[in-house]
Amino acid sequence: MGDTGFGLEERILHTKDEFAQREALLRSRGLTPPGDEEFVIGLYEGEMLVATGALVRNVLQGIAVDVGYEGEGAASAIVSSLLKRAVRRGLSQIFLYTTNEEASRFEALGFSLIAAVPRGAALLEWGSQGIGTYLESLRAIAIGRLDHSGAVVVNCNPFTLGHRALIEYASSRVPWLYVLVVEEDRSLFPFGVRFQLIREGTADLPNVTVIKGGPYIISSATFPTYFVRPDREEASQRTVNMHAALDLAIFRKYVAPALRVTERFVGTEPYCSTTSIYNETMKRILPSPEPEGFDLESRGVPIAVREMPRFEIDGAAVSASKIRDLIREGRLPEVEKLVPRTTWEWLTSEEAVPVVEKIRNSDSRH
Amino acid sequence: MKALEAVTAGSLESSDVLITITPLDGEGVEYVIDSIVIKQFGKRIRQVTEEMTRQAGLGGARIHVQDRGALECTLRARLETAIERSTAS
Repeated sequence: MGDTGFGLEERILHTKDEFAQREALLRSRGLTPPGDEEFVIGLYEGEMLVATGALVRNVLQGIAVDVGYEGEGAASAIVSSLLKRAVRRGLSQIFLYTTNEEASRFEALGFSLIAAVPRGAALLEWGSQGIGTYLESLRAIAIGRLDHSGAVVVNCNPFTLGHRALIEYASSRVPWLYVLVVEEDRSLFPFGVRFQLIREGTADLPNVTVIKGGPYIISSATFPTYFVRPDREEASQRTVNMHAALDLAIFRKYVAPALRVTERFVGTEPYCSTTSIYNETMKRILPSPEPEGFDLESRGVPIAVREMPRFEIDGAAVSASKIRDLIREGRLPEVEKLVPRTTWEWLTSEEAVPVVEKIRNSDSRH
Repeated sequence: MKALEAVTAGSLESSDVLITITPLDGEGVEYVIDSIVIKQFGKRIRQVTEEMTRQAGLGGARIHVQDRGALECTLRARLETAIERSTAS
C-alpha cells in the first residue's frame, strides 16, 4: 500500500474500529454495508477514513467518499485498486454495485450500466462486452423456436418432484419452455450435479430446454442476498427487495427478449422469505405495461407471471429445503418419495457421499 | 510471446491510464480502447498500443486501454509494464 498521489494513504481494513469508521462513512452517504466482505480498502488522511470500497467475489461495492473529499480523485483511486485486485484474482467478468443516483460517476470510469432500479440499486459491468456476448448465446439457443415461449428460473438444490411438477405444468402451457438454472456455485449441491439432475429428470418432456443461467440471473452480481441466510442483518427485507427488483429488471430488459419469452412460471413459496419477496416483486415488475420508474426504451415487453401452488405430498409442500433438512437429520430414506427416480439414484450413489456429508455438517440456507 | 496471466498496470486516476491484459486462445491480439479524449487522441492511442504490442511480439491477448487523459510517455510506460508482467513467468 502507499501514497495515492493525493496525500492519502491506502490501507486494507482489518480491525473492528476501522470497520466501524467505514460503516459510519457508508451511512453518511446513505449506504448500508454490503455483507460478506472479503476485501475492504480505505483511503486515510492521517487517522481519518475519507474513502472506502470493497470487493465481494466479482463485485465492487460499498464505495463511498467523504463529502469533504469529493471530486474524482478518491473514488477513482479506490476503483483502480479494487479492479487490480480482481484482475489479479483471475476474474474476467467484474461488476460494480451502487445506487441509481451514483451510477453515472462510474460510467465515467469505464463501467457500463446494465440495469438500475429507480431510487434503488444499479448494476454496472466493467468494459462493455459481457452482456452482449451472453445475449448472443441466448439468441443462438432460441433460433428456430416459436415466439411466446415460457421460462422458469430454478436452483434445484436438489431437483425434487416439486420442481418436476412446476416444469411439467409450465411446459404444457407454452410452445417451448426454457429452464434457466442458477449457475453460481454457492449451493450445497454443486452446479454440475444440479444441472445434470434437471436434465435427466425432464428428458421425457419434448419441448423443454435446460440452460445455464449465467452471471445475469440470480448471481452474486444481480442478487447477492439470495445466497445469504434470511436472518442475517444484510438480508433485511429492504435489501432483498432491492436486489430482487434489479434481478427482475435484468430479466425483463435482456433475458426475456433474447429468448423471446413472454411468460414466466413460479411455484408459490411457503417456507423461504427471500423467495417469497422475489415472487411478489416479480408480479410487480414483469407483467406491468409500464413498471414504475423504468424508462420507456429499457422496459422490455410485459411478461405474464403464472404462479402454481406448490406440489404437495401427504399435505406438505415438497421443497428442496425440506429434502436438505431430512438429509441433515439423517432421514435420507424418507427422501425417496419426494424426488424423481433420477435424483434418488444420484443421492444413493458413491458420488453423493461428500455432498450428503457436507449437508449433515452445515446450517447453510443453500 | 504469449500473454500468460491477467495483469493490470496504471490506474483510473486523472492523467493516468489503466492497462489490462488478459490471455486469449490463439495468437491474435484484441484491442479495446476507451478514452475520455477518444475524439482527439483515440487514433494515436491505438497506434502506440499496437506498435508496442508488435514490438514486444505479444500474442494471444486482449488489451484493454482505459485512458484518463494520460500523456504519451505515461501510456508507453504503462504498456511496457503491463506487457512485461503478462509475459513474465
